[in-house]
Amino acid sequence: MNDILGDRKAIAVLLGPALLVYSVAMLLPVLWSLGYTLFSGNAIIGFTYVGADNFVKLANDPAVRQALWFTVKYAAVVTVGQILLGYLLALLYVFVLKNGSSVIRTLVFFPVVLPTVAVALLFQKMFQIAPQEGLVNSLLGAVGIGAVDWFGTAGTSFAVIVLMDLWRSMGFYAVLLYTGLLDIPEELLEAGRLDGATGLTLIWRIVLPLSLPVLLSSLIFSINGTLKVFDTIVALTGGGPGNATTPLTLYMYQTSFNYGEYGYGSTIALLLTVLCLLVTVFVFRSSRRDLTEA
Amino acid sequence: MAGQVRRGRSRTAPLVAALGVSALALTACGGGDSETSGGAAGGAGSFDFLVNTENATVPAMLETLSQAECKTADDAAPLKIETVPQKQLDQKLQLLAGQNALPEQFAAGSSPALTKQLAENGHVVDFEKALTDLGKLDKVQPAAIATIESLYGGFNALPYEYNVEGIWYNKKIFADNGIAVPTTWDELVAASEKLQAAGVQPFAASGEQGWPITRMISGYLFRSLGPDAMDEVAAGEAKLTDPEYVAAAQAVADLGAKGWFGQGVGSIDYDTAMAQFLGGETGMMYMGSWALGNFTDPEQNQIGVENVGFMPFPAVAGGKGSIDQLPSNVGLPMTMSEKAYDENAGAWLGCIADNYGSALLEEKQSISGFVADSDAPVDDLTKMVQDKIASTDETVLWFEAHFPTKATDTSQTNAAPLVSGTLSAQEFMELVQTDLDAR
Amino acid sequence: MSAVLAPERSVRPVPPPAPVRRSRGFLRRLPVRALIAVILVIEVYPLVWLLLSSFKTRREFVEEPFWSLPSSLAWGNYAEAWTTGNIGLYLRNSVLAVAPSLALIIVLGVAAGFALEVLVWKGRGTVLLIFLAGIMVPGQMILLPLFSAYFQLGLTGSLWPLIITYTATGLPLTVFMMATYFRAIPREVFEAAAIDGATVLRAFVSIGFPMVRNAVFTVALVQFFFIWNDLLIALTFTNSTELRTVQVGLLNFNGQFGATDYGPLFAAICMNVFGLLAIYLVLNKRIMAGLAGGAVKG
Repeated sequence: MNDILGDRKAIAVLLGPALLVYSVAMLLPVLWSLGYTLFSGNAIIGFTYVGADNFVKLANDPAVRQALWFTVKYAAVVTVGQILLGYLLALLYVFVLKNGSSVIRTLVFFPVVLPTVAVALLFQKMFQIAPQEGLVNSLLGAVGIGAVDWFGTAGTSFAVIVLMDLWRSMGFYAVLLYTGLLDIPEELLEAGRLDGATGLTLIWRIVLPLSLPVLLSSLIFSINGTLKVFDTIVALTGGGPGNATTPLTLYMYQTSFNYGEYGYGSTIALLLTVLCLLVTVFVFRSSRRDLTEA
Repeated sequence: MAGQVRRGRSRTAPLVAALGVSALALTACGGGDSETSGGAAGGAGSFDFLVNTENATVPAMLETLSQAECKTADDAAPLKIETVPQKQLDQKLQLLAGQNALPEQFAAGSSPALTKQLAENGHVVDFEKALTDLGKLDKVQPAAIATIESLYGGFNALPYEYNVEGIWYNKKIFADNGIAVPTTWDELVAASEKLQAAGVQPFAASGEQGWPITRMISGYLFRSLGPDAMDEVAAGEAKLTDPEYVAAAQAVADLGAKGWFGQGVGSIDYDTAMAQFLGGETGMMYMGSWALGNFTDPEQNQIGVENVGFMPFPAVAGGKGSIDQLPSNVGLPMTMSEKAYDENAGAWLGCIADNYGSALLEEKQSISGFVADSDAPVDDLTKMVQDKIASTDETVLWFEAHFPTKATDTSQTNAAPLVSGTLSAQEFMELVQTDLDAR
Repeated sequence: MSAVLAPERSVRPVPPPAPVRRSRGFLRRLPVRALIAVILVIEVYPLVWLLLSSFKTRREFVEEPFWSLPSSLAWGNYAEAWTTGNIGLYLRNSVLAVAPSLALIIVLGVAAGFALEVLVWKGRGTVLLIFLAGIMVPGQMILLPLFSAYFQLGLTGSLWPLIITYTATGLPLTVFMMATYFRAIPREVFEAAAIDGATVLRAFVSIGFPMVRNAVFTVALVQFFFIWNDLLIALTFTNSTELRTVQVGLLNFNGQFGATDYGPLFAAICMNVFGLLAIYLVLNKRIMAGLAGGAVKG
C-alpha cells in the first residue's frame, strides 16, 4: 500500500515544481538577505562586514522597541477583531439569514476588492477635522461631544487604523469561516436541539468546538497578515504622527531603502520573522490542547 | 520499503541536481558586484529619464523640447520617460545603482544625503566638467551653481527649478485689517494676532508634509543665529538641543499653540493648504516660488494674482541674520548618470542648457537656474520673483538640507505634533538630534 | 458576485421553524433587521461616497463638506483617468500578471499539498515546515536579491518577475492550507484507489483534486485578492509604463509637493472596481459550472 503512496517519482512530479519555485524565488533570497545582517552599507556604497554590530544596534534602538510594541499591539487587536467579527457574521449568515444571506455576504465582502489607496483616502476623509469636518466629526459635533483630531495623536490614529482594517477585512473572514460552518453536519445540530440546546447554548456547546479547526487556520492566517501589516499603514497614516504608528515592516523598509542601511534593515526583518514564528508555534501549541479537550 | 527508497533516490537524483544547479546559477548571476553588466545601463540608444511621478513639469518641458529645439539630440537618442512615486524613488535608485543600471537622467533621491552618496560612488556626472567640455557652463546662473554646490558638495544636479522661499500673504486681507507687511518676527506675531481677532486663520500649512513648518524653524534660526546656523549643526559644532536652537522651535510651536495654523494641521495636505490660502481663508502661507504656477492659475487662485504678495522671512530682534538672505533650492534634484553618459547624453545636456531656461519661462512662467535669454512678457508676480532672485546675493538652505534621510523623516513627521502641542520644542529637537548623532 | 463567494449550502433539510406566535415573531426579528440595516449602511455608504467623489472637481473635493454632492455629473474625470491613468493598459497588465500566477499557485500548491499530506515519505514534515516558514517571512526582504537576479537574467522589462514572485510568495500559504484540507479526507479513500490499481498521479488528478475543489476555490480567492491588491512587488519590479499594473497606475495621480488629483483618482478607482466586476461576470459562469461539477464537498 505505502509502496504506491510512497512512489518517489510521483512525489518528485507533484512536489518538485512547487519546491523549486519556492526555493529559488523565496527561500534563497531570504537567506541571502539574512546574510546581510552581518554587513553594513547598501547597494550603492557597497557592503562591509561588521560582525554582530547590527544586533547590538537592534537591542539598543528605541525606534525598534516602539515599532515592535506597535506591531504586537496592532496584531493582537486586529486579529481578535477580525476573527470575532468574522465569526459573528458567519453565524449570522448560517443561522439567521440562512440561504437568503448571499446579498449581505457580497456587500460585506466587497471592501476587500477595493484598492488600499482608495480605502485609505476614504477613511482619511471620513475622520478628517480640517479643512472640512468629516462625517465622524460632524456626528460627534451633532451629539455635543465636539470634533476630535483623529490623526493628531497616537491613540486615536491607532483606533482609525484598526477600524479601517476591520471594516475592510471582516467580510473576508466571514466568508472564510462561513465555508467552515457549512461543513458542520446537520445531524449533530439536530442532535443538540433534541437535547434541548437552543440559541447560544447550541453555538457554545456544539458549533464552536466543531469550528475550531477552521478558526485555527483563520487565526494563523490572520495573525501572520497583521504582524506583517504594511500597505494599509503606509496609505493611511504613513506611520505618523511622528513614528507612533510605524510597524516593524515599515521601519525595516525605511531603514533598508530610504536610510540606506540594508544590513540593519535585514536584521529588523529577522526580528519580525522570529516574532511570527514564535506566535505561530504558540497558537499551534495552545490549540492542540484545546482540540484534545473538545 | 528500503528497496523502494533506494531506487527512488536514484530517480530523484537528477531533479535534485537540477534544482541545485539552477539555484547556484541564479546565485552566481545575481551575486554581488556586477561591473560586467555596465553595458546594460539605461536603454541602449535612447535617452532614458527616471523621474518622480509627482514632478510633471520637467518631463513635459523635455517632451516639448524634444520636438523642437532638441530634435537633433532626440533623433540620435529618443527621450524615454519613466516615472516612480517619490516615496519609492530611493528604493528604485538603490536597486538600479546596485546593478550599475541607472538611466541616462534621473531624479536623484528625496534627500541630498542620497544624492551625495550617489555622487561619491561615481554614479553622477560632474556637470562642471561636462558643461565646460561642451562650452556651456555660462548657461547656468552662478547663484544656482552655488546653491547646488552647498547642497550636494559639488555641481552634481541640474537646476531645472530655481526657487526662493518666504511668506506669501493676501494683500487684500492685510489691507482690510490695516496690517503693514511685517519685517520682524514680533510684527509677524502681532499681525497674526490681528488676523485671528478678525476671524481669519493666520497661516495655511501642510502638517502632513511637515516641511512647511520645519522651514519656519530654520527661517527663524537663519535670522536669529545667522546663515551658518544649520551648517554648524551639520559640522557638529552646535546641537539642535542648544537653548538658542530650541528657542526657534519654541517660537514656531507658540504660533501653533495659539491655533494660528488651524485645526488638525497634521492632516492638512499640500493641496488643502494651497486651497485655503488661494481661497482667501488664511492670511499667510510659507511657500517656495515654485507655487507661482498655482498663483497664476485663475481656476485655483480665487483671490486674484494681484492680491498675492511676498515677504522675506522676517528678522528676529537682535539676530545675526539679514532679511535679505533668502532660502533657495533647485527642487528635487535631477541629475545624469556618469556610467551612461556618452556623446548622445552630452548632446541632450547641451541642448537643455541652451534652451530650458527660456522655454520654461515662456511656457510655464516659472524660473529655473538655466539662463533665460527670452524677452517674452511675464506677469507682475513672476517679474517680482525674478527681480528678487536677481537682487539676492546671499542665500541660505533649509532645516533638513544637511540631514541624513532618517533625521529628515523624523523632523518632518514630527512637525505637526510640535505645532499641535503633543510634542514640546525641547522634545522635538532632541528627537532630531538623536538621529543626527546616530551618523 | 455573491453566489461565488462561497458555495451555497448543498441541499439539506432546513430545520423546521419553531412554532411562535406571529406578533412575537415580528418583535423577535426586529433586532436582527436593525442589525442588518446598520451593517448595510456601514458597508454601502462609503461605496456610494467613492462613486460620488469620482465626479467631483478638485476644488469641490477639498473645500466642500464630506457628504456634499458633485455639482454636475462631469465625465471629465473619467476621460482624464483613462488617458493619464491609462487604465485600460494597466488592467490588461494586471490580468496578464495575475492570471498565470494564480494558475501556477493553485496547480503547484495543490499538488505539493497532496504530496506532503497524502503521500508517505521520509522528511515530509520537514519540507512542510520549510513551506510554513515562508508564511512568516516579511516580503520586503526578498526585493533586493530578486531584483539583482531578475536583472542579471534579463527578465526586467517583462511581466515574468511579477509572475515568478507572486507564485513564490503565494505558494507557502497555499501549500499549508491545502495540506490541512487533505488531512480532513479519510486516508481510506486513497488507499482504496491504490488497491484498485490507480497510480498516484491518477489518484491525485481524478480523486484528490476534485475532493478539495471547494477548498481550492477559497484559496484561489484569498490569493487573488492578495496579488491583485499588491503594490510593493509590482512597484519594485516593473520598470516601464507599459508594464504597470492597476495598483501602480493609481499612484500616477500624485502631483508635485504632495498634491493629489482626487477626481481622476476616484474615477480610476471606480473603473478598477468595475473592471474587476466585469472580469468576474465573464468568469462567473465557468466557475459556477466547475463548482457544480464537483459532487464531493471538500
